[in-house]
Amino acid sequence: MRRELGMLVALVVLCMGLWWSNANFVGANNVFNTSRQISMLGILAIGSAFVIVTGGIDLSVGSMVGLTGVILAKISSTAEGGLGHPLWMGICFAMGIALAIGLIQGLLITQLNLQPFIVTLGFMLMLRGVSQTIVNGGNISFSSFGSLANASILSIHGEPILPLLMLFFLAVVIISGYLLHFTVFGRYLYAIGGNRDAAQYSGVPVKRVETITYVISAGLAGVAGICWSSYISQMDQNVGVAFELSAIAACVLGGCSLRGGEGTVFGVIIGTGLMKVIEDGLDMFRIRYHDARGILQFWHPNDNWRYIVIGAVILVAVILDQVVHIVQQHRRTRGTAAPTHPPTGGFPVQPPSEPKVGAAS
Amino acid sequence: MLNPHPTLLAMRGITKRFPGVVALQDVSLTLGRGEVLALMGENGAGKSTLMKILGGAYQPDEGEIILGGNPTVLFNIAEAKRLGIALIHQELMLAGNLDIAGNIFLGNERAAGSSFGWLDRGGMNRRAAELLARVGLDLPPTTPVSRLTAGQMQMVEIAKALALQAHIIIMDEPTSSLTLGETRQLFKIIADLRATGMGIVYISHRMEEVLEVADRVTVLRDGRYVGDLSAQEATHEKIVSMMVGRPLSAWFPERPARAGGEVVLEAENLVVPGARAGVSFNVRRGEILGFAGLVGSGRTELMEVLFGAASARGGIMRLEGAPYLPSTTRDAISRGVYLAPEDRKRHGLVLPMSIAQNVSLPDIGNYPGGGAWLQRGAEVRVATQELERMRIKAPSVFRKVVNLSGGNQQKVVLGKWLAMRPKVLILDEPTRGIDVGAKAEIYRHMAALAAQGIAIIMVSSDMEEVLGMSDRVAVMRERRIERVLDRADATQERIASIMTGAEAA
Repeated sequence: MRRELGMLVALVVLCMGLWWSNANFVGANNVFNTSRQISMLGILAIGSAFVIVTGGIDLSVGSMVGLTGVILAKISSTAEGGLGHPLWMGICFAMGIALAIGLIQGLLITQLNLQPFIVTLGFMLMLRGVSQTIVNGGNISFSSFGSLANASILSIHGEPILPLLMLFFLAVVIISGYLLHFTVFGRYLYAIGGNRDAAQYSGVPVKRVETITYVISAGLAGVAGICWSSYISQMDQNVGVAFELSAIAACVLGGCSLRGGEGTVFGVIIGTGLMKVIEDGLDMFRIRYHDARGILQFWHPNDNWRYIVIGAVILVAVILDQVVHIVQQHRRTRGTAAPTHPPTGGFPVQPPSEPKVGAAS
Repeated sequence: MLNPHPTLLAMRGITKRFPGVVALQDVSLTLGRGEVLALMGENGAGKSTLMKILGGAYQPDEGEIILGGNPTVLFNIAEAKRLGIALIHQELMLAGNLDIAGNIFLGNERAAGSSFGWLDRGGMNRRAAELLARVGLDLPPTTPVSRLTAGQMQMVEIAKALALQAHIIIMDEPTSSLTLGETRQLFKIIADLRATGMGIVYISHRMEEVLEVADRVTVLRDGRYVGDLSAQEATHEKIVSMMVGRPLSAWFPERPARAGGEVVLEAENLVVPGARAGVSFNVRRGEILGFAGLVGSGRTELMEVLFGAASARGGIMRLEGAPYLPSTTRDAISRGVYLAPEDRKRHGLVLPMSIAQNVSLPDIGNYPGGGAWLQRGAEVRVATQELERMRIKAPSVFRKVVNLSGGNQQKVVLGKWLAMRPKVLILDEPTRGIDVGAKAEIYRHMAALAAQGIAIIMVSSDMEEVLGMSDRVAVMRERRIERVLDRADATQERIASIMTGAEAA
């Protein structure tokens, strides 16, 4: 929990800083937008966390977001290129595809003992290609579905502030939090991530549990994809590119270890918040100053810094974590006694006489 | 001083602590030029730790190391190597994907200029060929190491030490995977190295070898220095009594001879993976059935079949009269057959989890009233009960298993299974790497479990343990059971001759 709390402090400090530099940060418009972004990435990241806790990895979720969005638009959009079927049909079909692909990936990884990195990399590329085939290089307008992402459950002065997507996210958080932390299934995930062999020797149905994590990951990617298609209202072949990396980064920031066995839903929420506040909040950051002539000016960080900052934050987080870990381990090992070493001497530098070892044969 | 050799190395007052254990307490050791020193002690006596300190892998918390008359700090492995100390590990540390020359010069490559300079393969191969000739290995230096036998690899390790111009070579169980011929060859080379003034520390459990090759024997017990014996003084009995510290009989709990309990588990013509023929045996209620055999005789493979971790190629098993053929560990566990595996860190425990979480892992899905919901209260209750029953030394059941000593870790593994009322408990090397006190405790637990009517199958490479604990001893060789001996007929010599194939079945 140490890592999660540290990240929570970082997130709060970051938000305070942004608020201080620019009051619009807490404006209804920004809060609404950022919380929509956090909800969608959060759903995706929690899905990835299930896999990461077992020590696996799922690189296909970004392409899955794109594919489910494209399928939904293709089936249900009334605009050109869409088939104009009812929305529920599109959603069911998209979700069905997502779950089926998750199952196939899970079975390939567990039954054939393939490496998750390779299997999900293959699916990442394949699914991207399928999306491209469906939109055929163009795009499908899907503005009719914007109501989901734009819906608000709370308005202040007539301005929406709490998106409906936040409720979706909350539901995912509650269900996942229950699954990961309060069920036998969740315990099995941590046991597998901690020591796969020992879990198997303790009778944990390792393969079945692992397979389920890939289904969950793909399913939540499907949910995120449906939300995303409503948010951008125009699906093309590049939707969801590199989302898997954002999701993994959010997990790692939130305290998941890619070696497995570590991570909490709470941490993933914090990690997601950090990712999105940095990504979307950076352009709100400004510093007021008066130039030589006494006129008020604003300094903005360059927008291109976004990924530099995110990358640096991830690295600093894992480095700090490891340093704390090493210091603790050191203390534990040394106990209280400090080592007392005599001054370093050395061996007289004179090799023994060249041995003549008899060759037997 | 009983040591006629000029001193090459002296380690004085070495103390090393690990979380929860003192691995070495005030240990001293000397080694002379041209001397072969055998370092003896039970598993967990501290031999490896002491040698890792000498090899620079660990730093002592207290004590000094005097090398060639000068106090020295071996602050890392590279420094120890630079000062002429070569450590040959039991599991040989050779890179199978490289050739012989590549291994001999690994970490010490000859190259033009820096690490990024052109590798001087020709020069290395020539030098490697000279070194190979000196250790009597008649192979081109470009042979991939993956094609060598264990004995040939040992020679390559020695050549590697020679390449470093080592003054001191530490050999950790060098003969454990060698054939008799290869062992003879190794001894010849050791004699030649000794003649050139090199100091050799020889670690082995094989008493005959030690008596043959060593000039002096240093004995450790429970991380402490017990004493030295010269080659003239050393006898099998003396060394064992120094290693064990008390007569062997005091170790093993008295158990009434048990006969005629009903058969719990029986196997007929069970074919273990890799075997040509099947094995048949049975184990009764309240009985401890020991399995003796050399490493690789198929004991662990047989246990994995009994536990459902591997599949039999044929044959049948019955558990309490009903057909039993587990295809997964889960099947076996649901029938009450449990395994405490040989490599407990790899197969037995989830190290980053707590004692409670490890104890509950196999059974938590079946805790009453739970369903899917995790029963944390019941988990802590069960684990606390096992903590007390097994007398696990830990402040609470929330302690992570990784922080426990080997003996306490093994008790967690046992507690995990005892909480589930075993019918058959399979213990594969139950006391490997465990200190003496915990060992005796585990023996007492085994006796108590047998008295409760549990059938125990014990695999052990420790002959005293097999003889001290078993009601019957099954001796395996080449993946078959050669013979099942009753306790009365089982002697060390008898078992040894059966498992090495000297006595035909």
